Order: sequence, then structure tokens, then C-alpha cells
Amino acid sequence: MVSVAEMSEITSPTVVNQTAPMPNPANPKVERGMIEIEQLDFAYGTNKVLHDINLSIPARAVTAFIGPSGCGKTTLLRCLNRMNDLIDSARITQGSIRIEGVDINASSVDVVDLRRRVGMVFQKSNPFPKSIYDNVAYGLRIAGTTKRTLIDEAVEKSLRSAALWDEVKDRLHVSGYGLSGGQQQRLCIARALAVEPEIVLMDEPCSALDPIATAKVEELIRQLKEQYTIVIVTHNMQQAGRCSDHTAFFYLGRLIEFDDTTKIFSNPGQRQTEEYITGRFG
Amino acid sequence: MTATASNSRRVHLVQGILFWIFRLATYFVLACATYIFLDIGIKGSRTVFTSTPPFINVPFLTEPPQTLYVFDYEGKKMALSDRQFRQWKVEHPGTEVEASSIAYSAGGIWPCIVGTALLVIGSMILALGIGISSAIYLSEYSRNGPLIRLVRIAILNLAGVPSIVFGLFGFGLFVIFFGWNVSLIAGWFTLGLMVLPAIITASEESLRAVPQGLREGSLALGASKWQTIRKNVLPYAMPGILTSSILGIARVAGETAPIMFTAAYAMKDELPWQVTRMTDFFFQGVMALPYHIYVVSSKIPQNEYTERVQYGSAFVFLFLVMLIALTSIILRERSRSRLSW
Amino acid sequence: MEGVADPRTLIPERTKSRRAQVVIEQAIKAFFGGNALVAVIVLALITIFLFREGFGFFGQNLANLRLYRQAGLEYVDIIRGNAAQHESLSRKLSEIRLREVRVMEKRNVPLEEINAALAPFDQFASAFSDTAENLHGLVSDLTDQASALKEQLFARAELLAQRNQLERSGAQTEAEKIVVPEVDRAAALARLREGSARFESVSAEITAKLYNLLAQAPAMPDPAGQKHFEQWKTRARKYLAGLPAASEKLRTWSPDTPIPWYRSISSFLFGRDWVTASFWQDWYGIIPLLVGSVLVSIVALVIAVPLGVASAIYVSEIASRHEKRLIKPYIEFISAIPSVVLGFFGIAVVGQAVRAASQSHFFKWVSFFPISERLNIFTAGCLLALMAVPTIFTLSEDALRNVPRGFKEASYALGANRLQTIARVLVPASLSGIVSAILLGLGRVIGETMVVLLCAGNRIAIPDFTQGLGAIFQPVHTMTGIIAQEMGEVVRGSTHYRALFMVGLVLFTITLAINYLAQKFVARYRMSIG
Repeated sequence: MVSVAEMSEITSPTVVNQTAPMPNPANPKVERGMIEIEQLDFAYGTNKVLHDINLSIPARAVTAFIGPSGCGKTTLLRCLNRMNDLIDSARITQGSIRIEGVDINASSVDVVDLRRRVGMVFQKSNPFPKSIYDNVAYGLRIAGTTKRTLIDEAVEKSLRSAALWDEVKDRLHVSGYGLSGGQQQRLCIARALAVEPEIVLMDEPCSALDPIATAKVEELIRQLKEQYTIVIVTHNMQQAGRCSDHTAFFYLGRLIEFDDTTKIFSNPGQRQTEEYITGRFG
Repeated sequence: MTATASNSRRVHLVQGILFWIFRLATYFVLACATYIFLDIGIKGSRTVFTSTPPFINVPFLTEPPQTLYVFDYEGKKMALSDRQFRQWKVEHPGTEVEASSIAYSAGGIWPCIVGTALLVIGSMILALGIGISSAIYLSEYSRNGPLIRLVRIAILNLAGVPSIVFGLFGFGLFVIFFGWNVSLIAGWFTLGLMVLPAIITASEESLRAVPQGLREGSLALGASKWQTIRKNVLPYAMPGILTSSILGIARVAGETAPIMFTAAYAMKDELPWQVTRMTDFFFQGVMALPYHIYVVSSKIPQNEYTERVQYGSAFVFLFLVMLIALTSIILRERSRSRLSW
Repeated sequence: MEGVADPRTLIPERTKSRRAQVVIEQAIKAFFGGNALVAVIVLALITIFLFREGFGFFGQNLANLRLYRQAGLEYVDIIRGNAAQHESLSRKLSEIRLREVRVMEKRNVPLEEINAALAPFDQFASAFSDTAENLHGLVSDLTDQASALKEQLFARAELLAQRNQLERSGAQTEAEKIVVPEVDRAAALARLREGSARFESVSAEITAKLYNLLAQAPAMPDPAGQKHFEQWKTRARKYLAGLPAASEKLRTWSPDTPIPWYRSISSFLFGRDWVTASFWQDWYGIIPLLVGSVLVSIVALVIAVPLGVASAIYVSEIASRHEKRLIKPYIEFISAIPSVVLGFFGIAVVGQAVRAASQSHFFKWVSFFPISERLNIFTAGCLLALMAVPTIFTLSEDALRNVPRGFKEASYALGANRLQTIARVLVPASLSGIVSAILLGLGRVIGETMVVLLCAGNRIAIPDFTQGLGAIFQPVHTMTGIIAQEMGEVVRGSTHYRALFMVGLVLFTITLAINYLAQKFVARYRMSIG
């Protein structure tokens, strides 16, 4: 366990002033952006939806969660930045989630800090009813950044990272609602990147997009893994195959198999995984 | 086929007739309302407007009500206000006239306008402050337990309770139990509490209409709860809250029953700010336009001398309340077309 | 991707202020929560206060009813009731005369001839009215006695209460200074009950005189009049037959029969008299007010429901886009007309118009026209209808508009025309929504104060239903009206004050029930449109 003081050190610029894997002073094995889930049980009221999940998500790689609807993959994703706190009666009944060695559900962890470090892109693109510029700048502004030049810089950087810059650079101050579906989703990604998280969670980011827009977002995901740990929930097997390094297969609230994507898709270890991937159910 | 053709013609005829009945019913309602507006508008504008510049009857709007004296003098019917009558007596020493007096029928309605404005401002500050805060709490912070559900149902139901019941309560609690007497502050609390349920319900509805995705998106960027509410929920709920608040103003301004025995005086010579001590300001009764209309339409006879003040007051009051209502309707139509998720 | 090389430089270091920020967040939440709590507590207080002030009524009313019996007022009222019956018979006679005069006037009989023809009848009527002379004398004597006794008892009870209070607060010496006079209730009542014997002699006298009169009753000049007169005679005989029963009642009456506690409640809920500030006995029966409120609401709804629903159907299904854009805001605009302005309009215009219409030739065939009161149930109902229409219209229109497009399209696809689609698909699908709209309209109407206060006539009486529909052209008083009219003048804590709170409580309960029902229907509507 890492204490609060150490936790804040991790987030402070003096320590994280490097891109290379950052050794944690307390635990040298902890890498920046890695997630460890241990014996996690999760329930909505009395309805248990996750059973005994053990999973170690490697840093700086794309991990895909696949599985049939209602298998708990989105719930698990939302546990990773404690979005489930917003749902009444939803709670972790057992086990822990550690990000860079820190239990994120510990009472000493500030959920606002956590979410700043673990960004999220939602299934339904949800740009704010503000201009494109204000959408991207939102995270910075609420974090207290006021300097105009810094924000300008960050907005451009994030939009470039999200491969949206060229399309919107002339109309930064029109409403984000005027963009197409794919552009809106990339705007949401840019917005998430602007606060420079270590981890980006994506909840079926392409489910509402057409194939061309999907291809663009997938390309983007492949690029982003250089910088970020990415966890993506998807229904689309080909998508998981195309852009993820590791794949976790869930079924009925349990983790059935977790391995390299190539292994899962070519030679799955479990019968259920194989049946799902070959389309026999799900 | 001919049978079918004639049948379809008959169906068509029935449909046409029924549609015309519906149309007539609709326009009948509109006509009734228009008649009221025109009747009060035309007869009222005889009092409120004049044919000579400045075209507005300034004394009517700026003077307190006075008693009207009607009497015959040298074959002429004289109708003089209280002050004029006294002056006339001085000018005509020794003449004895049999004057009949009609209360409230001379002078203007200035104190009533002032009183109504004060009542509306105070009670709306109270109701909006508590109401919007409560709505934010209920919609954004509270967990949806059985207790909160109960509170919500209770508030929803209280919104339908008649205003006179609130008046009764205000009289019992503020006027008598707290010993505030008939006063501005008792009126504020009574009116404020009366619109409180409606404001909470409407504001909460506007807040809930803001999509959940905006809240999640903001929180996922590391915004705190309050930052999310302030920057990403309230601005989009504001048009709705504003509309309901303005409707609340129209309701507070238009109600008579709750202030009849909590805040309104039928007649008061001083204006509200003509008090000796600061605290007296809050603990004084005021004249109010709706109560004035009630008094002049039920306590004095209907004749050519009273019509002036009756229609004049009704016109001014109707005009003010309808102006507020119109603002809220226009505002809502505009925000409806602008924001849609 | 070189750009993101230096993470976290953009976000200032804020670890220290974070804690302060958390505290601020907590404070903000507490502020909102506190406000919500204040709102809930205050609104709960309203309810509790209403109940507290209202329920005190029952105890006081029971004392009021007990005093009524103990002081012998009830005894006197038996005789008074008898006298009232006699009077009503007298009144009936003058009604018969009036009818007769009208019939003859229509036949263009000159006035002198009418009077001459009716002279024997007039003689009979005045003789009849004279028979009760002694009865009225008796009533007035006994009234004075009973009132005096009641006052003594009341004053004594007051002093006793005062002394008790002083004793309880420890002021023993001062308490002893208060002299509570003894009231010789038994003697007073005994004196009062001598009235039984007097009543018997009076009733014997009336019986004798009346039989005599009836035997030589004159014939009426007109057969219809004769019929009415015969009816009157049967009533008069019935009255005579009832006299011994009244004597019996007087004999068996006892001032010490206990009054059960529930009488206090039943006399409120089922009492047919609302008499306050009377020298004799106050009655707090809600029935006349309730009947008034209900009748006014029925009239308003009978007018408003067809208009409101029809215009909702018109606007949502038939009207063109431009009409819609104009009509909808206009009707909503109507709902903002202040009720006091409507009430004023009712006094100034509608009341006159209704009376003028009733006097016109066009309505000559209506039996209960012309009406005498311009302010009556109908006048108030018409104006309230105008208040209910916007509520019914807006909510019904919502309900119709929110029926899914698919329902309508499916109907058209089957070859139904617009009318069939409206009648068989749209209205059934939104029926519960419309019912809830009507209920909310009813809630608005029944709780409305100013219009009924100004336009319903304010006569505390149950309308005479024997006139059939004519009953709705009679003045009434309503629950809301009585509160508005009498609240300003009552003494705090008096039975009257509490009775008004009880009326408020009944009103509160009725509107809550209506609201609750309306919400049930809304829920059902949501289910029906899926």
C-alpha cells in the first residue's frame, strides 16, 4: 500500500516529469499507468454482477474487454475511474483495484484526482453544448489553468492527438454539436486527452459510428497507446482483433480468459471463448 | 361500389361537421378570453390614458386612493375627491350640500402598485433561494432512497394545494402564532411558501432534463461535483428554471386569497417607506393591487362614479400580470427551439 | 506524438488546496441540503399546523354542543322548530296567492278584481297566521330564559378556567380571590320546563282554531290554485298531527342525557347549518359549504371539459401549423389571468348578462326564469370554467401529442380516416392522460377562492333542489369563500377559528386526493403509450 503522501507525489510534476516508465519508490515493480484488479466482486443492490475478477492490465498497451451484452465489462470499466460512484446502490463488495499500486477505493484517495488521471470516453459521444475549443479546454479550466497561451497550446495538441485538428482548426469556436458523429467522438477523445491522463477508458467508442469514422478512431487508438494505457470495451470482435494488444473475455460476470490478442483469436484456451469468437453465441 | 361511395361521402360529411364543432369550441374559448381583455382594456384605458399629452393618466398611477364625494350644486352634479371637496368647502363658505361619499373611488392606486411590487420581490427572493437550492440538492446530490421519493411526492402534491389554505396557514402561524400581525413579512412568507413547491418541482424537472452524459463527461475529466453542476448542468437548466420562476412571479402577483388576511390593508395613508423605524418596514401591512380590486368590486356599489377606479385598477393589474406571463411564454418558446438534446 | 512528452506541466500543483476544495465542496452540498431540509420542514409544518389548529375544533365543538343541551337551548329549539313549521305553512300560503295573481294577470283581469276574488283567501291566510301568536310568544319567553342560563353557565366556566390556570401557575391567593358564582341550573331548567305545559295548551288552542279554519276554508277562483291549496291543506293537517309528538318530545327531553364524543365530528361533517356569531347557538356544519363548492365545480367542469378537450383535439390534430402556433400560447396566456380580475369581470359583466338573459323573451319557456340573484352558482361556474379550460387544454394536448407516431401511422395505413384515427386510436390511447387533466382542472376549480367569493352570491344555504336545474341559479357559499370571508374577523383559538381550519383541512384533503388520483392516471397513461 502506498500512503497519501506518496500518492500525491506520483501526481506532482516534479516526479512525473518523464515519459519513461516511472519507478515507484515504494514498489519498484509498479509501472506508470498499470492497473491491477484483485478478487473483485461488484453488485447493484443485491444483484451481483461481477464475480472474483483478477486481472492485471499492462501499461502503455491497448487492452480490449469483450463478451456478450450484460457480462459486466462496462461495469468493470466504470469501476476503474469510479464512475459507478454515481449510481446509487452500486458498490464493490469485495476485492480491490490498484492503479500504480494505489488502491483507488481507499478513503484517502480523492476521486477527482483519480478521474483526472484516468480519462474516459463514452459509448454515446457527449460533447458539451459549448464550442469545440471550450469542450477541449474544459478539463484544464476546471483544474485551475487560467493562462490563455497554455490552454491554446493544449487544445491544439489534444486535437492533433485526436486527429481532429485539421478538420476543425478553422471553426474552433462553433458548437461541438455541429460536428458529425465520428468527429464528435474524436472531440470527446481530445477532451479526455487534454487533461493528460495516464489511462484512457473507452466504452464502445465506435458503436454509433459508421465504418469510415470507426477506422479513424481505431487508427487513433493504435497511435495513442504509445503514450497511454488504453482499456476499450467493444462488442466488435474484429475491432478487438485489429487494435488491441491484450484481450479479456467476460461471460456472466466472470473473467473467462485473458491473454495476448493474437493468442485469444488464434488459439483460445477456453471452449467458451472459442464459441464466442467463432460466433456460436453472444 | 355505389353503396361504398355514398357511405364514404357520409363519413366525410360527419367528419367535416365534427371538425367544425371542434373548431368552434376552440374559437369560442378564445373569443371569451378576448372579450374579457377587450372589455377591461377599453373601459380601463378610459381611466389610465388621456387624450391630452402625456396621454397617460399620471395622477391615477401616482396618487393614493381617496373618497369620492358626489353632490348637487346649482343644478350641476359634482364629483370631487376628498381633498378637492375640502378645498371646495373653503371656497364656498356657508353652502350646505348633501354629499354622498363613495370610498376609494377617487385618487389613484400608487400605494397598491408599490405594495404588490414589494410583496412580489420579497416572496420571490425567498422562494427562488430556497426553491432552486432544494431542487439542486434533490436532483444532483440526494440518493434516490424511499425518503427522497416521499419528499418528492409530498412536494408535488403540495403544489396543488389551494392558495387559500396557504393563506389560512400563514394567518395562523405568522400573523397570530408568531405575532407578526398583518405585515409585509407575513405576506412574504405566505406567498413564498405557496409557490415554493411549484418552483422546486419545475426547477428539478429542468435540471433532470439535462442529459446524464454531460455530468458523466465532466466528472470523467476530473471535475468536482460542484464544478460539474456550476459549469455543465446549471447553464443548460437555467432557461427552464427562469421560465418557471417568471410564471411563479405571475402567480404570486396575481394571488389575492393568501394576502387577504396576512399582508393586505384595504386602506393605508402612508407609503411603505414612510416608517419611523427600520423594523417597522417589515412589520407593516401594505395595500396591494389584487386586494384593492377585491375591495372596490365587492365593497362599493357599481355605478358611473366607481367604474373609473374599478376598471382602471383591473386594467393596470391585468396589464402587469399579463406582461410577466407573456415574458415567460416567449422565453420558453425561444429556449425550446434553441436547446434540444 | 512528441507533443505530449512533458505531461502534467499544464495542470498546476494543487495538492495543498485540494483539501480546502473538498471542504468547500462539502459546504456547498451542506448548503443545498440545508435548504432542501428547510423547505421540507416548512412544508411539513404547514400540514402539521393545519392539523393542530383544526383538530382542536372537535373538543371545543363538543363543549359547545354540551352547553347547548345543558342550558336548555335544545329544549327551546324543539318549540322553535314547531313555530318554524307553522311559519313555513304561512309562507306557502303567500306563494299560492302570488301564483294565483300571476295566472289572473295573464288573463288580463284588472287588479281590483283579483284582490276582490282573493279576499276570502287573504282572510283565511291572516287568520291562519294569527293562530301561532301564542306559540311565538312562548318561543320568545323561553329563548330569553335559556339565553340567560347559557350566559351564566358560560361566564362561570370562563371564571373556573381562569382560576384553574392561576392555581396551576402557583398564584394560590389570587386564585382564591376569583369568586365563581353558583348557578342554580336545576331551578332555572325547571322554570324553563314549565314551557311543556304551556306548549300543550298552546298546541291545543292551535289545533282547535285550525280545524275550525280548515272546515270553512274558501274555494280558490282557479282549479290549479285549488289543487295547490288542497296540497297545502294536507300539509297543514300533517302539521297538526305532529303536534302531540312535539309535546311528547318536550316531556321526555332531559338536560343530562350525555352527548357522545362523535357527535362533535358528525355535526361538522354532516351538519346542514353553518351559523356563526349568533346570539343563540353556533352551528358548524360543512354540508352547505361543501354542496356549494361541489355544485360550482360541477357547473364549471360541465362547461370546461367539452371546451377544453375539444380544443385540445382541434389543436393537436386538426389545426394548421399557423393556428397551432397562435392558439396554444393564447390559451396558456388565459391561465395567467388573475382570479380577482375574473371575479371583478363576473360582478361587472357576467352576472348582469346572466340575469338579463333570464329575463329575456327568448328564455320565457324556462320554468325557473327569470332569476332574482345575478350572483349565483352559474355565474361563478362560467368564470371558473374559463380558469379550468387552460389546465384541461394544456395537459390534454400534451397527452394527445405524446401518443407515439406509430399508433397514428398504423391506423392510417389500415385505411382509417382522420376522424376514425382520432376517435379509435388517439383518444383511447391518451384517455387516462385526459382524465388526469380533467382532475387537475377540478383541483384548480375547487380550490379557487376569489371568483367564488365575488360571484357565487355568498348565501350560506343548501340550494333548493326541488327546482331541478333551477338550483344552479341560486346563490351559495363555498368552502374557500367562507375561509376568505370569515378568517379576518375571528378570535384566535375560538371554536369558529378552529372550524375554519377544519374547513381548510377538508379542502386540503380533497385537493390532495384529486392530485393523487391525477398522478395515478398519469402513470397509467405512461404505461398505455409504452
